[in-house]
Amino acid sequence: MVKEEAKNTEEVRILAFLCNWCSYAGADLAGVSRLQYPANVLDVRVMCTGTISPYFVVKAFQEGVDGVLIAACHIGDCHYLKGNYMTAKRFQVLREALKFLGLEEERLRLEYVSAAEGEKYAEVMRSFTDEVKALGPSPLRKRAPVKGVGA
Amino acid sequence: MSDLKAIIKEKLGNGIDAFLCLKSEEGSVMPVLIADENSPDLEKVVAGDCRYPLAGIIAALLREYPSKRFAVMVRGCDERALIELCKLEQVDLERVVMVGLACTPEEARACGCARPYPREVALGEKVEASPSREVIEKLESLPEKERLEWWKGQFRRCVKCYGCRNICPMCFCKDCALEDPHLVEPGVIPPEFPAFHVIRALDMAGRCIDCGLCEEACPVGILLRSLYRKMQEIVEQKLGYLPGVNPQDRNPLTFLD
Repeated sequence: MVKEEAKNTEEVRILAFLCNWCSYAGADLAGVSRLQYPANVLDVRVMCTGTISPYFVVKAFQEGVDGVLIAACHIGDCHYLKGNYMTAKRFQVLREALKFLGLEEERLRLEYVSAAEGEKYAEVMRSFTDEVKALGPSPLRKRAPVKGVGA
Repeated sequence: MSDLKAIIKEKLGNGIDAFLCLKSEEGSVMPVLIADENSPDLEKVVAGDCRYPLAGIIAALLREYPSKRFAVMVRGCDERALIELCKLEQVDLERVVMVGLACTPEEARACGCARPYPREVALGEKVEASPSREVIEKLESLPEKERLEWWKGQFRRCVKCYGCRNICPMCFCKDCALEDPHLVEPGVIPPEFPAFHVIRALDMAGRCIDCGLCEEACPVGILLRSLYRKMQEIVEQKLGYLPGVNPQDRNPLTFLD
């Protein structure tokens, strides 16, 4: 029981892939609007979420992150017209595959955040961090996280 | 196999430059390419009780001889592989004639694929089979942690021989992600979980034609087929696509329609 509690308060690390045109601008807006959201997230800016190979997500989990967020433009708003359509398809397959292999599916999330949705970005980060915290550290984590990193 | 012999002769006389099938020599079954009606190999052709990735061999032959036409003996799995490779632009089906061979009831039961016969059967009798979902169902009934441990236990045995990739008729990339040092660290055996095996599983999504050669080739008996079969089920459920069945359907993970 004590162990369970300790697990839930441990800091989790989240990797977020943000699309340059929408979600990254959304994150920027959250920043300039001084919205509060947990600092557990490390973001990676990509030109389009369609460029995110599922390999990267698998590799991220192998390296021991506790959750992966992919934030894309809304469907129909992609700067490259249909990049996020591909993301949506790949995401479904990847999520089911990870679930079958025994990784909680909640650790991978796809969200659509536009450049104007700073508040939504902060809210997504809050709710996703809470969700991953509730799950605890990833079973694929290799070593205990260094205190103060990502927290 | 006098029927097969007659078919080979007929095809070679009708604009086909070479026929790919199996032969039995000194007790071993191996692939053979017959380009001549008087070839001594013609006496040795067999349906064969073992399988080779004939679709992959055809793809290589078509690349090597861009003006030749080939005929090939195909089981259900070989045909599915050729159809899928055609969609992936690795095979030109205009230059390939398929001669269908249905698996015997024993073979079909032992292999356990969903369709152990090609669309047009020239040799053998069609038998229906039902693939076993035993391992998948067992795993799905387990809690997530145990499932992860079970897979880790499977992949811990991996000796990284790349046999599953090398035998796979659907694997044709020149630069393989499994050899990318950024994704899979070189020299680490067994390869780290999940990258190596999950990358392969993801590549098999919407592509694996369930021939089972990977599992046959695996020297340590990892239950790869259950993983790839599950990938096939996921793609079918989520995106409504079954590889190798309909030449007109486009792979949703390759194309945006």
